[in-house]
Amino acid sequence: MSTHIAAHRWADLWAGRVGDAERSVMERHAERCRACARVRAHVTRASDSFVAIRSQPAPEVPWDAIRARVHWSVSTERRAALRHRRPAYGWLLAATAAGVAVALATGTTRTAISTERPIAVRKDVAIPPAPPPAALIGLVSRASGDVMVDGVRPSDLFERALARGSLIATGDGRVDVQFGDHSAFALAPRSTIELRRFDAQTIELAVDGTVDVTVAPRGDGQRFLVDAGDHVVEVRGTQFRVTHDAGSTSVACRHGLVAVSDGTGKVEVGAARRVRVANGGSVSSEHVVALSSDEVATLAQATPLALPLWDPALAQSSAPLEIATVGRRDVRVDGVELGLAPLRVRVMPGRHTIEAADSAGRFRRAGWVDVAAPPRGERVEVPAEPPATGGITERRRQLRTRIDRPRIRRCMRSIAKAGLTGTYVEVEIAVDAQGAVGFLNVIDTDLPSATASCVREVLADVRFGAGAAATWRERVDL
Amino acid sequence: MAWHDMLGRVKRDTGSLAALGPADEADLIARCKADERSAHDELYHRFRRQVAGNLYRVLGDRTDLDDLVQEVFVIAFRGLERFRGDARLSTWLYRICVNVALGKIRTRKRRPAAIGVADLDATSADPSLTERPETPDRTLERRQEQERVYKALELLAPKKRIVLYLHEIEGLDLKEIAYLVDSNPVTVRTRLFYARREFYRIIAGEAPTGQAAEPSIDGRSPESPVGVGSGSDGAEP
Repeated sequence: MSTHIAAHRWADLWAGRVGDAERSVMERHAERCRACARVRAHVTRASDSFVAIRSQPAPEVPWDAIRARVHWSVSTERRAALRHRRPAYGWLLAATAAGVAVALATGTTRTAISTERPIAVRKDVAIPPAPPPAALIGLVSRASGDVMVDGVRPSDLFERALARGSLIATGDGRVDVQFGDHSAFALAPRSTIELRRFDAQTIELAVDGTVDVTVAPRGDGQRFLVDAGDHVVEVRGTQFRVTHDAGSTSVACRHGLVAVSDGTGKVEVGAARRVRVANGGSVSSEHVVALSSDEVATLAQATPLALPLWDPALAQSSAPLEIATVGRRDVRVDGVELGLAPLRVRVMPGRHTIEAADSAGRFRRAGWVDVAAPPRGERVEVPAEPPATGGITERRRQLRTRIDRPRIRRCMRSIAKAGLTGTYVEVEIAVDAQGAVGFLNVIDTDLPSATASCVREVLADVRFGAGAAATWRERVDL
Repeated sequence: MAWHDMLGRVKRDTGSLAALGPADEADLIARCKADERSAHDELYHRFRRQVAGNLYRVLGDRTDLDDLVQEVFVIAFRGLERFRGDARLSTWLYRICVNVALGKIRTRKRRPAAIGVADLDATSADPSLTERPETPDRTLERRQEQERVYKALELLAPKKRIVLYLHEIEGLDLKEIAYLVDSNPVTVRTRLFYARREFYRIIAGEAPTGQAAEPSIDGRSPESPVGVGSGSDGAEP
């Protein structure tokens, strides 16, 4: 029998689960047994690492994408469950099948009957089948955040044609889909939409969440329906928003006219009006209320983005432009407000001007971008907004008075010997409240790089005291 | 023991965001059960880090972590109808995490991953551990030690691994573990006894072979495992 100590007992000792008497026995044993001392060291090190493991924080994972996928799974199951709960007509099919079976079993009788009363069929007149209505396609015109199409996050979102049966889901972002001249819908965050029917005759969208729709006036016989649970929204030409969740269905109309119906009745909702019906409740004109000015403004802001010229082949003639920003900033492209970036938007090839809003909400020019021919597209990064600043005058005074002029002259000696005068260096500098220089960049100069670098070093050695944080540009004439 | 008070120790990643009072939690659950989208969002946002952290620590690497987080929340949203409120929501989610992690470990046993275990980020440890900057040697040593722990865990059977992790690393007692792994405390105690013996033998693998010969000084059997469930956890049967 071994007299060594089992490894897990050293773990117990480490965790304080051993009494004093036993502890001293174990420690005495380890003093004279090198093997046990080594095991003890191993176990102690491992046990020490438990603390570090226990305190590991969660790593960063794509939270929005996960949320979108969870939402996708759960909402798909919910929809399937709802379908199963709908009135089943299986009994009718069963009865029909039974009838057919009985008729087949008594085929003689039926033959006799059919002999007695022949069905007149005019074989000479062939009735042509009605041509199927032309299928429509939709193209993504703007997207931000996570967007899933048919359960995947497509890398070719802007090239993909959305047709009947497509199922679109959003995470924390939104997606705009254009499907005609001035016809588009915008799916709000954490919503799903299914293109149940999508042809020239009928457009039927099933929404779970919020969708903003703009529809151009449609021709006779064309129908546009949005299914929102038990309620159906039918429109002719209008802009409206449908919100459907577990509790209620809300339809707000910005302009035009929509009809909201269910099994019990129908109500018309005009411009700047809204109807909200609890799920399970029935629509009634009493539920129609006027929109507030804020609500109208919200609807106006949510107008789906549609390119002025619609062509189903737009995917081949336009390209996505990705606008990346630091944080969430409102952006404009060619003067058109697109909402919060980062986002991707469909544009025609050519030069486009990008503007981004600063913290005060003022749009400032962020640059321009040449978008290449499709399908390459382009990406533009909007520079971060410089931090809010104040006290520039004081910081500027400190800089000017504390520059080591003799050192500057040494830097400039070779230039001065060459007889060059009137040179300058323009720098951008950030100083924090403690006086530490955050950055110092030479943004323009007419000096050779070596000389400019020497001057920059002199400027970098300027010491600032505590005071207001400031970021400014300074032209230093040399 | 009231499950409401259980597992306070494992809710490190929740922070203040997930600190819901019982009434708020009941309200959130009710809204989730009513299929309210905003409630689902709130639940996800409150508990996502806790879920990811739990899975990450149990498994020791971030391979497929996003898929596993997704799986936990899908199971949670599906199962909320059956959630009776016997335990706190965080505890219930932790239980789902444990089961999802167990499934992952079993899959990995069948199809071993090409990458190594223990890619735990050594630079993002608890602030209290990093108040004084570590030397590179110490950082490397700590990382190697964590790798050794996870490699040893990999060698255990999945069920043993889970109970060992929950007891030794998370510091849970037998009843808590029994709830999480849906077993009874006696089974957990036995499983834990063998798991500890095996695990620490592996950890002490560099020691002479005679070292770990059984029985040794403690000479204990699964019926009376010292340290397991005793002391602070008070779960000694």
